[in-house]
Amino acid sequence: MTRDFSSRPPARARWSAGERGLVAGAGLVLVLVGGLAVSAWSDHRHASERVQAARQSLADLRSRTQGAESRRGSEDAAVSRAVLTAEAPPGRVLGALAALLPADVRLDGLTLQYGERLELDLRVAARNAQAYDLFLARLEASPLFEGVEPGEEGRDGEVRTTVRASFKRSTS
Amino acid sequence: MNSMRPLASRFLLAFDAGSVSGAEVTRGLGRSQLRGFASAPLAPGALVPSPFDRNLLRAEEVRAALDRVLQGLGGKVRRACLLLPDGVGRLALIDHPANASAVEYARFRLVQSLPYPATEAVTDLLPLGRGRSAAAAVRRSVAAEYEALAASAGLTTERLDLTPLAALEALLRQAVGPARTVDLILGDVACCLAGYHGGRLRVLRQRRRDLGPGEEERLRDEVQRTAALAGNGTELRLRVVGAGGRSLRTWLRSAGMVADGGWQLPGSALAPEAGEAAWLGEALA
Repeated sequence: MTRDFSSRPPARARWSAGERGLVAGAGLVLVLVGGLAVSAWSDHRHASERVQAARQSLADLRSRTQGAESRRGSEDAAVSRAVLTAEAPPGRVLGALAALLPADVRLDGLTLQYGERLELDLRVAARNAQAYDLFLARLEASPLFEGVEPGEEGRDGEVRTTVRASFKRSTS
Repeated sequence: MNSMRPLASRFLLAFDAGSVSGAEVTRGLGRSQLRGFASAPLAPGALVPSPFDRNLLRAEEVRAALDRVLQGLGGKVRRACLLLPDGVGRLALIDHPANASAVEYARFRLVQSLPYPATEAVTDLLPLGRGRSAAAAVRRSVAAEYEALAASAGLTTERLDLTPLAALEALLRQAVGPARTVDLILGDVACCLAGYHGGRLRVLRQRRRDLGPGEEERLRDEVQRTAALAGNGTELRLRVVGAGGRSLRTWLRSAGMVADGGWQLPGSALAPEAGEAAWLGEALA
């Protein structure tokens, strides 16, 4: 029976020995958990520092790698340009294209861009569509050129358009 | 040589206008046993039970009586349950809603009729089941008076209870049956009446006593009013406990009423007056 009209607050000094034991146990568990939490936090902090150091090392390595790749890329591009200039000088390229032109097709303009590849931009005029189609067929079939991309064209009588292509480097 | 005690004793100390009493009770594997009883009379006016005024008007006399009781119990009392007399607490029968805390709701109901600020009320209750309880409120300063008296005697107060609630709890453990029943719990200056109908407590009343001539008739009339408030029944059965209960039962029987005591106290042969102590019922019944 727990009825009590005491003037003191009802919760005070009413704990049994068992309840006091439970509170003491809970306090001990709290201390243990607190110790574990401090330890875990310390481990977490050390792990974070190691991760940060690893990230910094990775960033440095990536930076150095990018620098090396950049230098190597520019060196490769210069080598490619030199090789292509020697292998496909403008005169040779122009000669090869002229050999492919049908009688009713003329070349109004040609831009050559030497890099890792030799990109060609052709301005073509043909008297009729059949002649233009024949030029495209010869260009695609040529062993010297690849990546042929016809541009916008009008086929009402004379055809004037652009064609992009690449010079195929020799594999030997 | 003293016999072995089955379990540790507990002590009860009861106060009323006419006396301070104490008992040692042990609860073994069977029923509780009364192992000691002591009582010391008080001169009129030393202790005046009141719900809001100072009760211990001559505290030194009450303390001296308490010391005699403690000596009568063998001088071994260190902790005790204090029982406050009838007339100190405000009692009420409360039907509380299912969705409310019984104690909080009882407090809400009781404080409306208290002659002191609600913040000074200490409230607790005796659960009766089915959403009903006998609740009581005691003024904190009054409770503190008795606690201070016990502390001055070197005692630790285990808890504070009210004699009418302790007696009512004991009486409720005994089935009343279908008969119209009224319990009369007598204190020195006040009494409590509980009316039953259909085996359930229906009415709880408190009255100040007037010990002058004609008190038996007045108490009989209060009993009949309580029975009427509790509802109609076939016959009236009366249980009388507390101060002057034995003589009142005799008078009531002579008046043709059925009047019994509340309980039989095991071990009460060592102190016949203990059988009249209403506050002992809860501890022994």
